[in-house]
Amino acid sequence: MQDTDVRALVEQMVEDMLKGKSIQASSDSKSSYAASVGQNNRVEKMPESTDGGQILPDITQIDLRKQLLVKNPKDREGYLAMKAKTPARLGIGRAGARYKTATMLRVRADHAAAQDAVFSDVSEEFIKKNQFVFVKTKCKDKDEYLTRPDLGRRFADKEKEIIKAAYKDHPKVIIVVGDGLSSSAVEANAAEMIPAISQGLKAKGISTGPILFIKYARVGAMDDIGEITGAEVICMLVGERPGLVTAESMSAYIAYNPRHGLAEAKRTVISNIHKGGTTAVEAGAHASGIIMKMLEQKASGIDLK
Amino acid sequence: MKEELLSVGIDLGTSTTQLIFSKLIVENMASSYTVPRMVIADKQIKYKSEIYFTPLLGESQNRIDFEKIRDIVEAEYKKAGIRKEQIDTGAVIITGETARKENAREVVNALGDFAGDFVVATAGPDLESVISGKGAGADEYSKEHHTTVVNIDIGGGTSNLAVFQRGDTCDTGCLDIGGRLIKADADTHRITYIAPKLQEIIQMEHLPLAVGDTATEANVAPVIAIMVSALEASVGLKPQGKYYQLLVTHRGIEFKEPIPCISFSGGVAEAVYQSRKFEDKFCYGDIGILLGEAIARSELCRRMKVIESRERIRATVVGAGSHTTEISGSTITYTKDTFPVKNLPVLKISPREEQENLGESLRKKIEWFEVEDSLQPVAVALTGAENPTFAEVQTYAGELLLGMKALMERGLPVIVIVERDMAKVLGQSMYALLGYGKDVVCLDGVRLQEGDYIDIGRPIAQGSVLPVVVKTLVFHS
Repeated sequence: MQDTDVRALVEQMVEDMLKGKSIQASSDSKSSYAASVGQNNRVEKMPESTDGGQILPDITQIDLRKQLLVKNPKDREGYLAMKAKTPARLGIGRAGARYKTATMLRVRADHAAAQDAVFSDVSEEFIKKNQFVFVKTKCKDKDEYLTRPDLGRRFADKEKEIIKAAYKDHPKVIIVVGDGLSSSAVEANAAEMIPAISQGLKAKGISTGPILFIKYARVGAMDDIGEITGAEVICMLVGERPGLVTAESMSAYIAYNPRHGLAEAKRTVISNIHKGGTTAVEAGAHASGIIMKMLEQKASGIDLK
Repeated sequence: MKEELLSVGIDLGTSTTQLIFSKLIVENMASSYTVPRMVIADKQIKYKSEIYFTPLLGESQNRIDFEKIRDIVEAEYKKAGIRKEQIDTGAVIITGETARKENAREVVNALGDFAGDFVVATAGPDLESVISGKGAGADEYSKEHHTTVVNIDIGGGTSNLAVFQRGDTCDTGCLDIGGRLIKADADTHRITYIAPKLQEIIQMEHLPLAVGDTATEANVAPVIAIMVSALEASVGLKPQGKYYQLLVTHRGIEFKEPIPCISFSGGVAEAVYQSRKFEDKFCYGDIGILLGEAIARSELCRRMKVIESRERIRATVVGAGSHTTEISGSTITYTKDTFPVKNLPVLKISPREEQENLGESLRKKIEWFEVEDSLQPVAVALTGAENPTFAEVQTYAGELLLGMKALMERGLPVIVIVERDMAKVLGQSMYALLGYGKDVVCLDGVRLQEGDYIDIGRPIAQGSVLPVVVKTLVFHS
């Protein structure tokens, strides 16, 4: 089969599938379909497409909790009620012994989103818009960041000066943002969460100063910032390692007196901050409460009661 | 974080008065690295009282004998070894015909205060239906088996229907059908009382049945057949007959989907499930046994799947003791502990009003409320947003405060209850907009309807959550 023929066939099949038609295709054409979609992101831009070059619907926009692919379910409402409680891919039906094309495509799309979240950078525009102070850990690129966690926890002298200058008023509490393993998570949540934290702290008379943005950040970078600034509490928002459920999940790591050698158990974490988990604004309000508690008890992590 | 609440349930029914104590275990079900999620993880019944006949006063029996009820309650507290100071929460519910007695409201309120500090007084057939259905375990069965269940709680004076679908309460209804609508002397079987609605039916049907006659299985059978037939119609098994509307208390269930399962509770349920053989059908001095046996033979039991209920005669009191208290969401705002607050009327903002002009709708509602009653503390209830931005939360806060201006001018508290998880940030935003000068209560995780009342208890689990009881205070006249 010619490459263009395959593309045309794929387009037709995706179209049919999204319209809910059942596909009766040979296993041969199915596998070429999979291969083509997997390796080729230009499917929607095919000039020779059979439907006049229109853009295909984005399958990642489908809410999986509301999509039931089982044919003739005995209790559709019951199944959907169960699916509403979990993001797991339940009720995906099957084609022979395998899952359906729609499921296969979606898993690949979600996997691609997860990879993108790791390998892309938080945009400069986002950092500028939120007036973050930009710094970088000792990592020189993404590859080094992924392979050398130790470098992602420390700053070079030049960067240390920037941090020192930003917090010359020595605030008790510092909020920082790190890209971590998901840039998408930071862009989706940080700007909503920070004002909620600041508002909660302000009610108790605590101001936080500027917000630091750290490129190539590991959680341990907060310990170095603690050393540099002498802050009592640091709250670090960082993108979580993305999965197939969401690539936009962020965590807040909060520690009292973070310094070099701080035990991991001394950090308090709020995880799963995303639109399907704890919402960014509510997590922010909750974080402000935790920070207040830390200042009162002078403790964090497992020591915080 | 694990905490126990001691809860009391007191049920003043048409024929019986009962009391239970139960323990509610509140636990954090979230892992320690996420935002906490406190829930009632377990409910254990600790003590069940004896079953007393509800004491009534006067020739026409239209007053409740409060003195006697207080004695009963006092004696049962003593027997259980529980002091009223130990009670954390609970409910007094007044049901069936007893709710229509002259002094129903006074009695239930007085008893609520007598039973404990945060014990709520409730009444109304809709709430009774839900409470008894939950006490019977119908909600749990529907959830466990992914199905729809109707529970009929058949007491002395009324039959309360509640429909549960996969654990959610979908509909309620109430019919004036019960075991003690005809009373007869237990020894002589001489009829001493026939309820007015049944009198009407007897007259229209020209049945030879009157007060003073001797009751037999045969002569009460036609009346019982009419009652059973109305029950069959109430769950959609047959068309509503000519007496259905007459027998409906205030409304029947209107649930349109098929209901495959049925369960029974209330005193009459003992006879429906035929847990034992009754030699003398009039041994309780009423037609309850005959009614129950007729139901067991009816289409209700032949065409629907009959589920064993967990509680029968005690379903309502168990429901009142174990199923009325809810827990607020775990991220909430209250700037000062002024709890408990009781009997807050709910001002519900519809989702449309919320989207279009929240502040103005709320202002108008409060104005209207002020005309109806003199302005008193109210709880403003709304749905809230799924995943709001910080700016959207600010808008919510601003609009809400705008709408509640009249309340604040009179020194009344700002109490907002939102369904979706956003109460902590919304509460903090309102507090900030008020310049930290006025106290704010903002809860989430509680669903309220227009016309509900809400009680908010003292904070539990290190102040992280507030117990809440949602109720309706409608008394029938």
